[in-house]
Amino acid sequence: MSSKATTKKKKNFSYKIKKGLKRLVPAVITIVLALIVGGIGIALSGNSPLEAYGAMFNGAFGSPSRISETVIKAVPLMIMALGVSIAFRSQIWNIGADGQFTIGAILSICVVQLSGSTSPVILAVSFLTAILGGALWGGLAGILKAKFNANEVITTLMLNYVATYILAYLIRGPLMDPNGGNNPQSTSIPDNFRLMRFDDSLRINVGIFIAIILLIAVYYFWRSPYGFKLKLVGASDSVSKYAGLKVSSIVFVTMAISGGIAGLAGWTEVFGAQYRLLDNISSGYGNLAIVVALLGNLRPIDIGIASFFFAALMSGGNTMQRMTEVPYSVVEIIQGIVIIFVICRAVGSSKTFKNFIKEKFTKKKQVNLAKLSESSSDEEEDNA
Amino acid sequence: MINEILSAAFFISVLGSAIRLATPILATSLGEIYTQRSGIMNLGLEGTMLMGALFGFMGTYFSGNLLVGIICGIAAGMVMSALMAFLSITMKANQVIAGTALTIFGCGLAAFIYRTVFGIQKIPPQVTNFQPVKIPLLGDIPFVGDILFNHNILVYFIYLLVPITWFVLEKTVLGLRIKAVGEHPRAADSKGISVTGVRYTATIIGGAYAGLGGAFLTIAYMNSFTDNIVSGRGYIALAVVIFAHWKPTTAMWGSLLFGIADALAIRLQALGAPIPNQFLLMLPYVITIIVLVSVSKKAEFPSAYTKPYSRMER
Repeated sequence: MSSKATTKKKKNFSYKIKKGLKRLVPAVITIVLALIVGGIGIALSGNSPLEAYGAMFNGAFGSPSRISETVIKAVPLMIMALGVSIAFRSQIWNIGADGQFTIGAILSICVVQLSGSTSPVILAVSFLTAILGGALWGGLAGILKAKFNANEVITTLMLNYVATYILAYLIRGPLMDPNGGNNPQSTSIPDNFRLMRFDDSLRINVGIFIAIILLIAVYYFWRSPYGFKLKLVGASDSVSKYAGLKVSSIVFVTMAISGGIAGLAGWTEVFGAQYRLLDNISSGYGNLAIVVALLGNLRPIDIGIASFFFAALMSGGNTMQRMTEVPYSVVEIIQGIVIIFVICRAVGSSKTFKNFIKEKFTKKKQVNLAKLSESSSDEEEDNA
Repeated sequence: MINEILSAAFFISVLGSAIRLATPILATSLGEIYTQRSGIMNLGLEGTMLMGALFGFMGTYFSGNLLVGIICGIAAGMVMSALMAFLSITMKANQVIAGTALTIFGCGLAAFIYRTVFGIQKIPPQVTNFQPVKIPLLGDIPFVGDILFNHNILVYFIYLLVPITWFVLEKTVLGLRIKAVGEHPRAADSKGISVTGVRYTATIIGGAYAGLGGAFLTIAYMNSFTDNIVSGRGYIALAVVIFAHWKPTTAMWGSLLFGIADALAIRLQALGAPIPNQFLLMLPYVITIIVLVSVSKKAEFPSAYTKPYSRMER
């Protein structure tokens, strides 16, 4: 009896591996192809792609401190991509993770500065305020979408710019560090608020656990009744209306959750990596989070893996720019190409693509028929 | 301070530069009207404009001829939007994702090409840009002449595109086909109009306009290229299209609204207004949101908006 159970377990296990590979292999192929296209670009610019990618790899994994830097970048990236994936899965296009991140970071610093105390309670309050701030910024776009039908892509993007300027104003005005030598930055947070490090010489800290806990939470969120509702709204507006779901309130709540998670990423960045507010603190994580979420097929575990890859690309890209003649923008080109390939891949395996092939096939037939009957041949030719 | 703001000189300079600043948004939104009327929403305009800006600049820099620059900018815009057309029409991809991909890709590519071609220089490379042309007689009218008739030739040309766009959309076969494909692709298809062909055409025309708008930034408004020269104008143009209910003339008023916001921000800053400069710079983006909120509810989107067309699906 026990042997039967183990074989069943084994079968189950090998099935799971197979299923996992089925998801992993296309992602790896996508990345390799994107790297090849990026390499062609590097070669065209008169540099050696191997040297550039070597510098990139070295920059991301060359030493313990570099690995730690890569992980530090993966934390906000993973958190934001998880947030983005929640909105995207319900077909709400939250492009404004950068702005929600920034507002979360600003509010958490405001709490610390206004209270002026170093008690752990304040740390907890700042944590919650950051989430609340992101949720407000995202929820605002959600309300505008639900109440006024304002395209959320444009509103979230515009809110990004607004958040950037609010940050720029605050760190040059009310929140500016009086002892910062006129640098646009806020006062740094008390030492005991900094997220705990594993090793004093490395910047890697417990922030990574926050990201992983969130990943697990999102994994179970999709298995909860509310997660199912969201997926239903994403799958079909009319079906969810028939099912009695209030689509407009779901739009708002989804945007608030998505934004709140981005705000949380702002908190981990301030308390785990920067310790203060700086210009462009979100440093393009928002765009990258979209790429990560899409490459990960909006699935939590896949997103977790993808975020490490892109964090490596980011920290390696900076080293590459310093060590070789190749500019960092190669990393952005690779990002764009990854999404383009993901689109093509999704289409290649989808029903619409099979229909497309069918369509081509039937079109030929139609033309042939038309030729046979010789009726209204002008229109058919226009068609072809 | 208040006296300065109320003076005629301030008024003239704000309105004059508003007309110039509205131009790139106007060109891009006119192009996007073609695209959206055919049922495609090109969210990649930001990347398309930046590529247009770069190639417009490079064309002028290496040939010394502004016309070559304009042609290069338009061509770059057309290539970028052809990619968008391929993804959203042939591949039937989600247009938001395709547009985002195109923006990230275009911005990265433009920055990469600029760095590769020009390297890092202390003084950024510059071109001799379009100079203002004062229209005889009309330019001599007090106030109005300075506001309306003292711009460079590209400004006049892009405003001329407003009636041209209206004419093409309302009075030509192509325009009617674009609208038919955007409203009821199946009916258009049954009448023998190639939905794919018309949508490709409309998207690539839109890209040409966006490329022109981008090139305007580098060779008519400024005389050099920076990575953030477009700074959201592609998205603002999208908002203008919705604000304008897909009508060229209204798009002109919408663009002028943003032109005024931009111009006010710059002029008030120059006067040393007691408002923090960041809040002035925020103005165009806040106005975009307000405008979008106030018009979207009533806007009648093309029926086949963002819906890929397939003969096989009902």
